[in-house]
Amino acid sequence: MRKLIGTPASSLGRRDFLKQTALAGAALGPLAGLIAGSARPAWADTTEISVFAPLPPDPAPPGDAKFSQDALAAWEQAHSAKVSYEAVAWPQLHDKMATNFASGAHVWDVIYMSGWVPEFAKFLQPYAEKLSPELVSDMPPSSFSTVKWQGKNYGAVFTLSLLTLFYNTEHFEKAGLTEPPKTWDDLKRYAKELTRDGHYGWVLNYGDPAGIGGVASYWMTYLQQAGGKMYGEDGMPVFNNDAGVDALQLMVDLYNNGTDPGSISYVGINDATNVMLSGKASMMMNWPFTWKPAQDPTQSKIAGKLGGAVLPAGPAGTASIDGTDAWTVSADAKNPDLCRQLVEFYLSPDVQKQQALQTGWLPIRLSMLADADVQKALPNAAVVLEQSKHPYDSFVTPDYNEVTQAIGTEIQKTLQGAKTAKQAIQECSDQVTAIVKKRG
Amino acid sequence: MLRSGDGNREEAGLIPPNTATKMAGITLQQRRRRFGVGALLPAVVIILAILAYPMAASLWLSLHHVELASGTVAESFIGLANYAALLDDDSFRLAVANSAYFSVCEVALVVGLGLGVALLLNHPLGRSGFFRVLLIIPWAIAPVANAVLWKWILNSNYGILNAIFTELGLIDNYVTWLGTPGRALNMLLLVDVWKSIPFIALLLLAGLQKIPAMLYRAAWLDGANTWQQFRFITLPSLRTTLAIAIILQTLWSFKLFDLVYVLTRGGPADGTVLLNYLAYRETFNFLHIGSGAAVANVVFFISLILAIAYIRMLRPGGRKVPA
Amino acid sequence: MQGKSSKLGRLSIQLGLGIFAFWTLAPIAWLVVSSLMQQQALTATPPDFSPSAFTFQNYVEVMNSAAALGRGLANSLIVAVSTTAVALAVGAPAAYALARFQLPGSGPILLMILATQMFPGIVVAIPMFIVMSHLGLIDSRLGLVIVYLSFNLPIVIWILHGFFLAIPVGLERAAAVDGATTLQIFRLIVLPISWPPIFATAIFAFIESWNEFFFALILTRQNAQTVPLVISQFAGQYQTVFGQMMAAATMAVTPVVVIAIIFRQSIMKGFTEGMIKS
Repeated sequence: MRKLIGTPASSLGRRDFLKQTALAGAALGPLAGLIAGSARPAWADTTEISVFAPLPPDPAPPGDAKFSQDALAAWEQAHSAKVSYEAVAWPQLHDKMATNFASGAHVWDVIYMSGWVPEFAKFLQPYAEKLSPELVSDMPPSSFSTVKWQGKNYGAVFTLSLLTLFYNTEHFEKAGLTEPPKTWDDLKRYAKELTRDGHYGWVLNYGDPAGIGGVASYWMTYLQQAGGKMYGEDGMPVFNNDAGVDALQLMVDLYNNGTDPGSISYVGINDATNVMLSGKASMMMNWPFTWKPAQDPTQSKIAGKLGGAVLPAGPAGTASIDGTDAWTVSADAKNPDLCRQLVEFYLSPDVQKQQALQTGWLPIRLSMLADADVQKALPNAAVVLEQSKHPYDSFVTPDYNEVTQAIGTEIQKTLQGAKTAKQAIQECSDQVTAIVKKRG
Repeated sequence: MLRSGDGNREEAGLIPPNTATKMAGITLQQRRRRFGVGALLPAVVIILAILAYPMAASLWLSLHHVELASGTVAESFIGLANYAALLDDDSFRLAVANSAYFSVCEVALVVGLGLGVALLLNHPLGRSGFFRVLLIIPWAIAPVANAVLWKWILNSNYGILNAIFTELGLIDNYVTWLGTPGRALNMLLLVDVWKSIPFIALLLLAGLQKIPAMLYRAAWLDGANTWQQFRFITLPSLRTTLAIAIILQTLWSFKLFDLVYVLTRGGPADGTVLLNYLAYRETFNFLHIGSGAAVANVVFFISLILAIAYIRMLRPGGRKVPA
Repeated sequence: MQGKSSKLGRLSIQLGLGIFAFWTLAPIAWLVVSSLMQQQALTATPPDFSPSAFTFQNYVEVMNSAAALGRGLANSLIVAVSTTAVALAVGAPAAYALARFQLPGSGPILLMILATQMFPGIVVAIPMFIVMSHLGLIDSRLGLVIVYLSFNLPIVIWILHGFFLAIPVGLERAAAVDGATTLQIFRLIVLPISWPPIFATAIFAFIESWNEFFFALILTRQNAQTVPLVISQFAGQYQTVFGQMMAAATMAVTPVVVIAIIFRQSIMKGFTEGMIKS
């Protein structure tokens, strides 16, 4: 303490000042670095297009996924554009989108959608009305049904992605089954018979109620196979009937006889795919993509042993649902024509072919689906084409998320025996009615 | 000549009262206050600036019906209707039940087991630094990483828990740990308890180490056994610390998110939907911004009441230098 | 300390310590071990622990992958350090002021500070995002720092406040007697002896910033992604390589755990002093 008194005020002041600036500098230095790090390089003559897409192995465009990158570079050159990607894991897509749309800030130009077009239609522009006629004629007309809203066309589906049946040919042989199941009864019988030798007959992910690829969407597959549908002309639910109950009952029967009990905890399709690829389940329904990793010995124990077939038929025949992976353009995109051209590039024949060969995602172009190389590399393509001749409605509405959450939760309760199928469907119908009414 | 330290010297009684200050024209009180305000102001300004608007906005939003329209958010005032609707909502009631069960159990387990761990580490046998290191590690792991790890451990097909239990003969078939609502909620509890015990144990250990050894010696000399010593010396001395631990852990149990998001996403059948997660789901999955804000504010108010209790508990012990 | 320890007593203490050690270490050990195992070995029932099952391939894949763990680590480091520095620079004086001077409104201020810890982040997520985008701070580390300050600064103040209250006033009085100004007292007396809790608080703020997930999820896009985000991305929708997930988690967790272990003395001593006063 003596020191303090002896020193003249001025020199203490200087030391203090230096210390102060040092501290401030130490704090501000990184801050300056932060701020500098936030600045973006300006591209003089080129237009920037920002694309929001899932991370591979989910359906991803060239540049994000590693295919056709030269073609993309050439396109960028030709159009004086620079394409930048923001790619996130699939389960996070919807949340990010919702936050960004809510804030009103312009963030992306081209946006991937899967069943959310009606929900976010207000934030998109109907650029697809202007797609080149050549492209549109090469696409299945029904592929536009999930990206249309209130008469306008907002998107372009870029992969034919329908649920089809996958089965383990080796298991079938061992059980003496020569053909894939053709009807619901076959399915139930097969699932029971194939549960042996350390594997289950059926596996699926029942962990996530909502979204495309969630529990509710699977039930919608069966609903269509039973001849039912979700909504009537007035938008109110019309599934509280035999079709709805039978569809749910099938799931319950399957669950109690031959389904991997872990299914209730598999949140994403990958958990269920894992089980299939490790040979622990004999059958599942899955997206066309499954074929490729199944043939890869580093990821799969069943390389060469996978078979594909159309989904077993219910009372009204076979049916499926659409993955609806589509490209849309945001309402406030600065250069909508350029964005449209980028989408047309993604859907160009060559890129579509490479998409199939390199990533396993089928093309949407009919010509590429019929292409000999594609058919050879992806034998499953023929199956998907066959499936596409039957109904595959995903019943996408603005409430899709909430509706599937409600239905999916009821289904989960039913699977666990907490209520009967009839009770659950009644409950679902009431809840969906309330949700639709809330929208007004 | 008035020097800057004279105000303090006056307070200390070395200069006649009020001379220095009269000369300076401002009172000692004002000078010290000025420093205090100057030191406090930046912090208050920052906190208010960053948080005040969003918090107020969230309360505002909860009183409205909010619709997303092109580029903007359309609001219509509906008063407390969002809150009233919650009372009728099954998911909300389930979330309240889940949260209540979860918080009560978690606090009981964490504080109870944490006390046990603290006692063990306070014992001569537990003095080694190795155990101190063990306390730090789970706390330092990111909640997301923890969730990912435990999801893997609890995996119904390849998880190590199933493998170990089978080897030990405890189970015949692999168990789907996250398969039923009750079991999933309990697993959630297990994972968060695992992560939370060390920190609370640390807190309680600090409290234990403040208890003078003399007290125990005296009691032992008087013939008290271990249990009596615990009951009449340890517990009373730890009272404040225990209360703090309980309140902190309760507050933290309400904020749990990362774990639910990664482990179960609220399932199965809404069995692991806690209030916090429900607020997230309402806001981000269904874009019911108004009612999502209402749920979040419910959590906020519950926590606020607990926070007030915490502050009250601390105040009697505080010492302040009179300004 | 609590009387004679019998053989049984010692044994049960040792057993208790052993159980505690196993319970704490086992999951972490599994984290590291499974990060070094191949997918085929991990998906065997039971897992295949033969020497050939072990590999560094998972780490190689993680480092090569599109998720850019390196950038995540750099961002996390910058954001955490900056947040901590500012939180301390602003928070320590504030805590001192609250502890020593009976300022008008310090009760409500303390309550407000505590209140900031009470609400889950999603309450403010959308309004905060809106403000950040108006300011052009989305996907910037500066934006993250500002948001993280909002909950780290209160923590810093709260902990240091408790600690400053516990310091005997005598030291400061002595300095006052010698003519030191309040500022000098703070700088030259209080701060030096507060080094352990300040340091501990710094570590705490650093770790909280490093581990934060939710706001990083909302406020970043590509450039400012932090480590927890990168980890979560490894749970993709269609295929999960468990070993890689564990490898990513290990790499993300190791820096922080190492720091915490190295500085555990400061953390433990200073920190708990601040949270509970004698």
